[in-house]
Amino acid sequence: MSRAQDRAGTWIGWVFFADLANGLALTFGYMFSKPVTMQYPDKEKWLPYARYRGHHFLKRDDEGEIKCVACELCARICPCDCIEVVPYEDEKGNRHPAKFEIDTARCLFCGLCEDACPADAIALGQQYEFSSFSSADLVIGRDDLLAKPGKAATGGGVVAARLNTKKDVLVETEETQGYNWWRNIRRT
Amino acid sequence: MELIVALGLIVFKVAFLIAILLLLPLPLTWLERKIAGHIQQRMGPMRVGWHGLLQPMADGIKLLTKEDHIPAEADRFLFKLAPILALAPPFVVFVAIPFGESISVLGAEITLYVSNMNVALLFVFAVIGIEVYGVIFGGWASNSKYAVLGSLRTCAQMISYEIPMGFAVIGVVMLAQSMSLLDIVRAQADVWNIVYQPVGFFVFFVAGLAEAQRIPFDLSEAEGDLGAGFHTEYSGIRFAFFMVSEYAIVLLVSVLVVILFFGGWNSVLVPLPPLLWFVLKVAFFIYVFIWFRFTFPRYRYDQLMAIGWKVLLPLSMANIIITGVLLGA
Ligand code: SF4
Ligand code: SF4
Repeated sequence: MSRAQDRAGTWIGWVFFADLANGLALTFGYMFSKPVTMQYPDKEKWLPYARYRGHHFLKRDDEGEIKCVACELCARICPCDCIEVVPYEDEKGNRHPAKFEIDTARCLFCGLCEDACPADAIALGQQYEFSSFSSADLVIGRDDLLAKPGKAATGGGVVAARLNTKKDVLVETEETQGYNWWRNIRRT
Repeated sequence: MELIVALGLIVFKVAFLIAILLLLPLPLTWLERKIAGHIQQRMGPMRVGWHGLLQPMADGIKLLTKEDHIPAEADRFLFKLAPILALAPPFVVFVAIPFGESISVLGAEITLYVSNMNVALLFVFAVIGIEVYGVIFGGWASNSKYAVLGSLRTCAQMISYEIPMGFAVIGVVMLAQSMSLLDIVRAQADVWNIVYQPVGFFVFFVAGLAEAQRIPFDLSEAEGDLGAGFHTEYSGIRFAFFMVSEYAIVLLVSVLVVILFFGGWNSVLVPLPPLLWFVLKVAFFIYVFIWFRFTFPRYRYDQLMAIGWKVLLPLSMANIIITGVLLGA
């Protein structure tokens, strides 16, 4: 097609609003496509991957003793200054933390504490639902940290869940395969 | 006795109309948000009631209980007057709008209009023109730059679009030989005006979009550049007045399009009750309004003016001339 014809075609298209009609057809098509919304926490919940940096947890060794040697390296490297460690020495002469507090209200979940720890005692786990009405509740002590869930084994799944306004998001079914975020994105 | 019955009927009809117009924004806002959501692959409101059906109620309660704030530097009288000025005309206009011929209830014939004026069309345009004062006063009285800019734009926009809108319906009036909306619909019993007046419809619809200040012509409340335009400073119930007014005008323009160009309550193909046909057609045009809103970007101000004066006005004038020539021939 020659250039002049091409231009005439464009003009004819404009006169009959071909471009506007195209746009309308596109949005109309989208209106009947499936939404990509993940309805958290009403219906679904996302399971974090193993690499996810959620709430910290402290590890125990094989004897059930706390791994942390209270070297305070994590407290040193923390850019937010939110870890406070007070050491003590037990009967066998090993150093352990008497007090180990993380102020998660200040934490930026950089994971530097996990990298710095020489005893592989602290890590960032899979929990991400710990919002609170009071910032005082966000200062987590040693025993609570020991009880926190660890790294996720699998991840990326979306499980059926519903919100229990008193407590938490209740998981209803388990489903571990990965979630294809693009599953409902329409491509034209 | 008959007079009392007639008066009572009119009062009842008016009350019914007002109730409908006041309540209609509730389902319309829900629909608008749902359609917006699905066009953008979201779900829209989901949490209040089944699929968010009660969301407009929640919004309404919120608006009613919010602080009704008047800026310190505002012109208090005009500030309070503006929402009422914006709200009243769209309501008044519906007095002249017929929704059908008549229905029989308990053996008595009840007409589906409050009054059958023989200059209904003129009345509609005259009254709806007053609405713009609400917008202009609102922006002026707020004493805020955004609001004034929004008002200025509205001023210019309304003037430029009221003219082609008025011209566009002249073709329809010529065909029906009457300005009564009832007669105009009756004249379309066989063939709808859209067949004879496609250009008139186009001009009227585009001007109607501008009149209702909806995207792509919502320059007076362009969120992107003006905050919220003329109602930036309004809150609570006064803001709700502007909102209701906007939806009433959307309804009005849809109703006018149906009456003037799409045969009013005349049925096509399937013989449904006339009133149902009417409602279906109007619903379709309301949907088109919402659909447009989430498809097109906003026009620039100079483009808006150019469309109004350089495209719509000549088109509508040519339409009148051609209609006249064809009718005379
Ligand atoms: S994740 Fe980062 S900010 Fe949080 S406690 Fe560890 S080092 Fe500090
Ligand atoms: S958690 Fe690791 S880095 Fe922190 S005090 Fe304990 S041993 Fe040291």
